[in-house]
Amino acid sequence: MSSRRTRTTRTREHDIDDLVSKLQALLPSSSSSCKRTTVPSSKILEETCNYIKSLRRKGDNLGERLSQLLDSMENNGVDVSIIKDLLQP
Amino acid sequence: MSPPQQPSSTNPNSLKIRLTHRFLHNLNNLNKKRSNLDNTQIHQRYNRVKLAAYASMAHVVGSRRAWSRAILWKIRNRKVSTRHKRVDHKPTNHHHARSIKRRTTNHSNPKREYVDPNGNSGQEVKLRKLVPGVETMDACGLLDETADYIKCLATQVEVMRNLVDLFSTI
Repeated sequence: MSSRRTRTTRTREHDIDDLVSKLQALLPSSSSSCKRTTVPSSKILEETCNYIKSLRRKGDNLGERLSQLLDSMENNGVDVSIIKDLLQP
Repeated sequence: MSPPQQPSSTNPNSLKIRLTHRFLHNLNNLNKKRSNLDNTQIHQRYNRVKLAAYASMAHVVGSRRAWSRAILWKIRNRKVSTRHKRVDHKPTNHHHARSIKRRTTNHSNPKREYVDPNGNSGQEVKLRKLVPGVETMDACGLLDETADYIKCLATQVEVMRNLVDLFSTI
């Protein structure tokens, strides 16, 4: 009855806490400060959003540089397939 | 050559290697497809590289994850629409979203945390917008997908950085 419901909500909260701590471990800021204090989950979510945005921005910048490099490489006659064959095990 | 099916998907080394192969494969395909474009199409090429990056991420993970399924579905739809040359704008969605945003802006106290009708906090809503495919998931699934998405994004960024370093020395 009520005890079963509190038990399920408690396990669910434990699950969410575990997932949130797993997420915190992935963030770059957690590795620098090895604090044992619990950070509020809203902060962790906020940092996660910022981290995803920064990763996307980095990916876009790298994609831009990569496209410029590929263009210059094509003009010089190098082909991407050569690189791919070189990297195959 | 068929890609091997590996059970340990989130081992970072194998993920990086598989991402590298798949990304190069996609780049190669893009080069082959539009080989007679001249230098004025550099913006288009940049878009194609970005598309190749996301596509390779989603293909390596496969349909195991909701975010990868969402990306693969989007790519498939984009291919279908460009093939049929459909111009489907759907203005009603834009207006609807804009009107909702206007209705719920908090003028009285902007620092108050935003809670949408489902009881989700503002951060969770933002997260759902950033990760593809998690709009209708519960909190546990959302966090799980986010963790996997971050892992793959970080690995993809690392692969691209390595490739840029490699290509800039050639």
